Amino acid sequence: MDRIDMNRLKSGEVNLGTSIMAVQFDGGVIIGADSRTTTGSYIANRVTDKLTHVHDRIYCCRSGSAADTQAVADIVHYYLQMHAQTSGGPPTVHVAASLFQRLCYENKDALSAGIIVAGWDKEKGPSVYNIPVGGGLFKQPWAIGGSGSTYVYGYCDATFKEGWGRDETIEFVKNTLALAMSRDGSSGGVIRMCVITEDSVERLFVPGDQLPKFWQGKEVLGDGPKKAYPESEVAMAVEA
Amino acid sequence: MALRVVPAQASKSASVQDTAGTFGLHNTLQYGPRTIAAEIKSQSSLKDRLENWEETQDNLKLNLQRNVHGIHLPMRTLMERKLVTMHPNILGTSNLHLDILMGRDETIEPADVFLGKSYFSSLRFVPYTSPQFGIPPIVAP
Repeated sequence: MDRIDMNRLKSGEVNLGTSIMAVQFDGGVIIGADSRTTTGSYIANRVTDKLTHVHDRIYCCRSGSAADTQAVADIVHYYLQMHAQTSGGPPTVHVAASLFQRLCYENKDALSAGIIVAGWDKEKGPSVYNIPVGGGLFKQPWAIGGSGSTYVYGYCDATFKEGWGRDETIEFVKNTLALAMSRDGSSGGVIRMCVITEDSVERLFVPGDQLPKFWQGKEVLGDGPKKAYPESEVAMAVEA
Repeated sequence: MALRVVPAQASKSASVQDTAGTFGLHNTLQYGPRTIAAEIKSQSSLKDRLENWEETQDNLKLNLQRNVHGIHLPMRTLMERKLVTMHPNILGTSNLHLDILMGRDETIEPADVFLGKSYFSSLRFVPYTSPQFGIPPIVAP
């Protein structure tokens, strides 16, 4: 009973093997995620919402251990409510990201959490902060994370351009996540997105049958040439 | 100052400090033969985690209070707790003021049921020959 190995407990945990991303555009940020939560090879939740509210215009995308990221996001949510009361206004995205970073770094021996914090505030406008496992803090115009992100770094590097508007950014997020979900076994389900601007937070949903489709390969059987021999040849004359 | 979310795992160490004699070695005459099992600092990482759980969560909240409001707020919180434990309750061990301050006034926990007694102390050995079992006493003919 005494020799319980905490590392074994962690390895069996419910996992957000995932594809998450956040992209900043001129009016705000767009965050997106897939919807798969796995326990080993069992999909514990195929419609997960990985886009977590920590304040009115600040959201975070969670990847890694589901329990760890929920616990950390709850603490930040609690703290930002207190902060908003004393500072007289909504907190900046930098404050939220700094707190996430402190928690992830100071507890790095116990946590397995990769978080992307994104939102809008009055001082800097839209911002995206990437906090990978280990607890570093990186402010970037766009960030991708989770196990599925490794498959789409090339696509993102080749496609992203500064100065996009809302619709182009939505297309970028949708396409990136669809590509990641089609190659990563731990990502899948539906695409959930949030558009965060000064005025509002709008949630978008792309069901699994309406995901953007890319090269799917060709049908091997059945679509071959319909005729056994080409038309220009005449059938052989056979002596009766 | 650190924002620990869960209790840190105690580092695996063994020490001979508790049983050391004059020369700094294990005092066999007083404590018996030396065993490593008696010297290791922490027996079970799960036990340490559970024992330190409430304190860690409390420290986390106090640190967040300090970050938002300043050093005065956790000081006030701790002073208030000290104030309500200054005069012990004559009639019993329950302290309603402390329960309210700690946020336990609207919950029922095992501690409230067992009231400090351990589970095993309430199991008292009753010999099976006593009248309560309905077995007639064995009398030699």
